[in-house]
Amino acid sequence: MVFILEDTINGILMGSIYGLTALGLTLIFGVLKVINFAHGSLLMVGMYVAYWAVTLSGAHPYLTLILVIPVMYLFGYYLQDIVIKPIFKAESEVREPITVIIVTTGVWYVLDNLTLLIFGPHYRTIQENPLRGKMLELGGMLISVPKLWGFSAAVLTAAAVYLFLQKTSMGRAIRATSLDREAASLMGIKQFKIYNIAFGIGTATAGIAAVTLVPFYNVFPTVGVLFDIKGFIIVVLGGLGSIGGAILGGMIIGVIESVGPQFMAATWAEGIVYGLFLLFLFVKPSGLFGVRYDW
Amino acid sequence: MKKPIKEIGVCSAVLWVLTMALGAGSVCLAQDKVVKVGNIIPLSGPSASVGQQGKNAREMAVEEINAAGGIKSLGGAKLVMLYTDSESKPEKGVAEAERFINTEKVHVLTGCWNSAVTYPTTAVAERYGIPFIVPVSVADKITEQGFKTVFRIAAKDSWWTRDQFAFLRDMEKEFNAKLEKIAFVYENGDWGKGFAEQWKELAKKGDYKVVLDEPYPSTATDLSPIVQKIKRANPDVLLLVSNAADAILLTNTLADYRVKLKAIIGSGGGHADPSFLQAAGKNAQYLFDIVEWETDVNKPGAKEANEKFKSRYGYNLAGESVDAYLAMYVLADAMERAASLDPVKIREALATTNLGSGRGMIVGYDAVEFDKTGQNKHASLVMVQINDIGKGMERITVWPKNARRAGYQPVFPMP
Repeated sequence: MVFILEDTINGILMGSIYGLTALGLTLIFGVLKVINFAHGSLLMVGMYVAYWAVTLSGAHPYLTLILVIPVMYLFGYYLQDIVIKPIFKAESEVREPITVIIVTTGVWYVLDNLTLLIFGPHYRTIQENPLRGKMLELGGMLISVPKLWGFSAAVLTAAAVYLFLQKTSMGRAIRATSLDREAASLMGIKQFKIYNIAFGIGTATAGIAAVTLVPFYNVFPTVGVLFDIKGFIIVVLGGLGSIGGAILGGMIIGVIESVGPQFMAATWAEGIVYGLFLLFLFVKPSGLFGVRYDW
Repeated sequence: MKKPIKEIGVCSAVLWVLTMALGAGSVCLAQDKVVKVGNIIPLSGPSASVGQQGKNAREMAVEEINAAGGIKSLGGAKLVMLYTDSESKPEKGVAEAERFINTEKVHVLTGCWNSAVTYPTTAVAERYGIPFIVPVSVADKITEQGFKTVFRIAAKDSWWTRDQFAFLRDMEKEFNAKLEKIAFVYENGDWGKGFAEQWKELAKKGDYKVVLDEPYPSTATDLSPIVQKIKRANPDVLLLVSNAADAILLTNTLADYRVKLKAIIGSGGGHADPSFLQAAGKNAQYLFDIVEWETDVNKPGAKEANEKFKSRYGYNLAGESVDAYLAMYVLADAMERAASLDPVKIREALATTNLGSGRGMIVGYDAVEFDKTGQNKHASLVMVQINDIGKGMERITVWPKNARRAGYQPVFPMP
């Protein structure tokens, strides 16, 4: 069936982009042990940066990565350093600091509403662009070119982050901190410096996800919320803290969302996604690739 | 000790007489020269923006009516406007209606924009027999309570879908085309599902074949599965109910997947959002949408009224404000014929309204005439087509035919 194949391909492509949006979420959780509720807002900020960069320069959207990645890295780095770190320090005795979660919720509201104030409630899409509306024709199937680019970006980013964590000394320091921050500190690793860097990298991946979305999706102040909900499901599905798990979890959701509606109403396909989320929480709360036992 | 008391007595007697005389005089004046109109509208809270638009439109109309000599059959009586804020709360609307009727002694009430406020408030007016003009509150049930004093100018909820199908029929006739297969795609909320229910009925009556009936979550981040479903169902006509983000995404994705349709029809909402045209751009070309009113409606005086309104308040007239503007002219017309301030006579006059011309008639339809329930039976909506005729994408009124923008030929079916 050519239809099923076409829908599956679309699902995998779109799903990998969902996975990319969740990558930073899972990374930040893995290291800081904090669910970052502001992650969708960081994605939104990235989308605005990319939108304006593309609109003002007229460049190919992926060229703006040169700008978006450093801007978002620094934004995340200093957001953690200035806003979140003091709360962390105040609760240094607690393993999973609840107040930090509340602070990230505050950051989410502040960012969304600031954007609303500055740019208004308008919906924006980039016009006149080499990627907008491009489709690849393949044996009677139509495949979205911007999503194909997004897929490549997602796989490359996940691979790069994985290699960085495995092969570099900074990556090892990050992993050490995520395993046991006290022991890591005793070994001379600066815990909060690592937190800043992890938050920066997480935010930068949200920036990359933003660049993949801008060619075919709308930009508006509350756009992050839509991807946030999916992000949480993906992270649970793939396993909290797992890089590969985020991409694979995203693809599973993407395929359900894309193939499901051909056999039932789209609203039911969404129901299946949430059902799967609950099933995983009941049966395998650590997700596909998560660590079974908390360290 | 006696003298001062006497003096005070005299003074107070004089004062009392004076007060009586003045009071009587002002009562006389009120009875002869003034029509008191009590307006209950949301001026704060979530609907404050539309409430203010309605107030501005009323002010502009009343100024024009009074400047033109007021109600001539009442010796040039002026319309006097009293406003109160409903805060979009039903209980506030009810309390203010009581106050207007008992304390302010208003002759007519208007309001309340929010259907939830209008519904109980009209019951107060009915109890006292005071005529209540509803410029716009769309819930069907407002004119279905068996009340004698309620008069609604705007089209009711169920007429939106009715007009979408009437439009389809008219297009088939005008362009000698045959539309058979029809698809419904709508957001999965009260609004979308309510429309879909009515569409199904209308499709059955109109002998259309429904090839797709698909609700979708408005929060969807990818609508290509829905678009694929539309493409595979291969309908002639696609009817949509969408919020803004999904309207843009659907329009762009339909273009990406090269879905060929004869017509796409929106239901206002997201398709009427100011950012829709900008964000969907060329992909929105030839799309039809239903609205209450559009600035280019081809009616005498419409353009001038809009320009005057815009220069005074800084924004265009819209469905809500046009209905409020027209309501004041309907009232003036009824008062002229009633030639009395007796609520019974005013009600009689309103019930026999047949207003087809005049400064207030800038709506897309031909006349204001109320049926037995008090619903304006001619009220209809207008259909616009999005097209570029040299000034970028814009919304162009195409239906009803007598309201169509002069010189514009709708593009149908979509090329």
